[in-house]
Amino acid sequence: MDTSNPAVFVNGALLRMYVGRRVRTVIQVIQSDSGGVTGKSTDDHQLVVKGSQPTIPLTNFVEVIGIADSDRSIRAEMWTNFGNTFDTNNYNQLCQLANGEYKHLFI
Amino acid sequence: MAKTVTPDAISILLSNPSPDSSSNLPEIVVQVLDLKLTGNRYMFNASDGKLTVRGILPSNLSSEVISGNIQNKGLIRILDYTVNDIPTKSEKYLIVTKCEVVAPALEMEIKSEVKSEEVGIILKPKQENEMKSEVKREGAGILVKPKQEIVTKSAAQIVHEQRGNMAPSARLAMTRRVHPLVSLNPYQGNWTIKVSVTSKGNMRTYKNARGEGCVFNVELTDEDGTQIQATMFNEAARKFYDRFQLGKVYYISRGTLRVANKQFKTVQNDYEMNLNENSEVEEASNEETFIPETKFNFVQIDELGRYVNGSDLVDVIGVLQSVSPTMSIRRKSNNEMVPKRDITVADETKRTVVVSLWNDLATNLGQELLDVVDQSPVVAIKSLKVGDFQGISLSAVGRSTVLINPDIPESKKLKAWFDSEGKGTSMAPVGSGLSPSTKTGVRSMYSDRVTLSHITSDPSMGEEKPVYFSIRGFISLIKPDQTMWYRACKTCNKKVTDGMGSGYWCEGCQKNDDECSLRYIMVVRVSDESGEAWISVFNNEAEKMIGCSADELDKLKSQMEENSYQMKLKEVTWVPYLFRVSVTQHEYNNEKRQRITARDVAPVDFAAESKLLLEELTKKASQ
Repeated sequence: MDTSNPAVFVNGALLRMYVGRRVRTVIQVIQSDSGGVTGKSTDDHQLVVKGSQPTIPLTNFVEVIGIADSDRSIRAEMWTNFGNTFDTNNYNQLCQLANGEYKHLFI
Repeated sequence: MAKTVTPDAISILLSNPSPDSSSNLPEIVVQVLDLKLTGNRYMFNASDGKLTVRGILPSNLSSEVISGNIQNKGLIRILDYTVNDIPTKSEKYLIVTKCEVVAPALEMEIKSEVKSEEVGIILKPKQENEMKSEVKREGAGILVKPKQEIVTKSAAQIVHEQRGNMAPSARLAMTRRVHPLVSLNPYQGNWTIKVSVTSKGNMRTYKNARGEGCVFNVELTDEDGTQIQATMFNEAARKFYDRFQLGKVYYISRGTLRVANKQFKTVQNDYEMNLNENSEVEEASNEETFIPETKFNFVQIDELGRYVNGSDLVDVIGVLQSVSPTMSIRRKSNNEMVPKRDITVADETKRTVVVSLWNDLATNLGQELLDVVDQSPVVAIKSLKVGDFQGISLSAVGRSTVLINPDIPESKKLKAWFDSEGKGTSMAPVGSGLSPSTKTGVRSMYSDRVTLSHITSDPSMGEEKPVYFSIRGFISLIKPDQTMWYRACKTCNKKVTDGMGSGYWCEGCQKNDDECSLRYIMVVRVSDESGEAWISVFNNEAEKMIGCSADELDKLKSQMEENSYQMKLKEVTWVPYLFRVSVTQHEYNNEKRQRITARDVAPVDFAAESKLLLEELTKKASQ
């Protein structure tokens, strides 16, 4: 496993803390067009994900890994389909724990 | 000079074990008794008529014995000596480096009469060596009465009796190094502990193949709060039973440790202690005593499920909600009437549980609780048995202790929670909706969740009634060469036997059938993060996991390519599952073995599991 460039688990609120850094998050796809993919973060923020999308169609929930551009956009390098059902609550809590008291367990 | 022993000569010797050779020694004359050659030196018992001590004449003095100067029953004046300890026993021995003969063999052994008060020996009825006191001493002389029945004791015994319960400050220059209980182990024997007796059991008599005996045990707690159980048998039990008193503090050394027998364990310690007649138990002086804090290990009310019908005793803390009046219950075993009172407590898990108090706790303490119930006090209870009445119930036992509004952090936290939100919220009884035999998998897969090690670490679990848990794990192995199924009646699923002629006979249906079905019955190895265990699995559950019926698997087995059968079994492994299991005891070759049986199996719902884990995390964080 390549740990040279770790991505931080973020939701909408945490994204602003890591602008310029490599992040990962799961969004619910709202809309997809030439400008990028608009999605809803697990804490109900609206985020825009740019970058070359994969050839296969996106499912309802997608994980993106890339560089945080601003407090509401990400330049994605990697897209992974997470299917059509996803527990956003669990993921949101994960982001909070991974950046809070269990930060030391995550790179 | 009278040819006689110096009174209290032995005491003088013992009190000055390493005298300066230049200092003027007092006159010390002793009688030599039991003189005999041991190896290349002579050993004897030095006696002053009252006490004796083992003595050694170094080899340079052997000639004195051989020549007949030093004789048995003779008197010698000790001019230079050393007193040493015998390492493994609590005895001392005297090395006589220089002496002169005072008298040859006397007619008999000198024994003095003793008035008990003068000598100050404390007589206790349970003392091993009984001393019959006689009339007072007459003058400075010594009466020799052959018919005397006084037992001469070794100096060590007298000193020990005199010292018995006295403060250790009387000990000469021996600074006592006290070891914390947590540091004790079976491989290091040189320790002294300072402990309070927090529980004392009754003396019990027993009879086994080796004979009869008596035994009792005590629970010891040191200043750190660590606890250990100490057991004494026979001689040691008689010796220490009266000495150990509840609430008093003792210095103890020369006990032995061994790994605790989980079946009988009552305190949290990997080890248990044994004291024998050579162990030392000394009461601590008033300045040195301490009161151990009651050490609690609270279980939240909604976590009690995993302890139901188990042998572990739990501690709980909660806000008092209600107190029942005293009831009188007839005890089944002896038809006695026993007072009982039920109280209800609630905690931050928003669950309530009923605790049954008995005897004194019901009458006296119960009344105290009734008087303050309106103030919603915090109640902490130690050592409760967990039962399954109405789902989950708690019951006090002999050793249970109840504290009202204890001064501990958990109590303050609970009060704060109650005052801010608990007061208003509706609480549910913890047992509601829980039935041990619930087959509907969903709810029960998330209740009483434990790890495999929780089950395997208690071999006596499920001894009285089966205990139920839920588990999340992987099947790590299904042995391909085990008998995996039995022939079953197509109608009633019971095992069939070979019928008359061809076909199969079902005893239950009382009929013969040409065909039977195969039904799974197997043991599989399940692993989780804590360990592994072998679990019995029957048809329904096995079919769910293997993915085909036993009949179909049998067909695969008999196929030419062996592989498909092995592959099918392998594919079952390392898939996570939720299991509902029962734990019971089962005799096999006269041995009691734990048996874990799968009652239900379900695939893991990852979202629900994650939620469960997140709940556990937040619970841990707030503890």
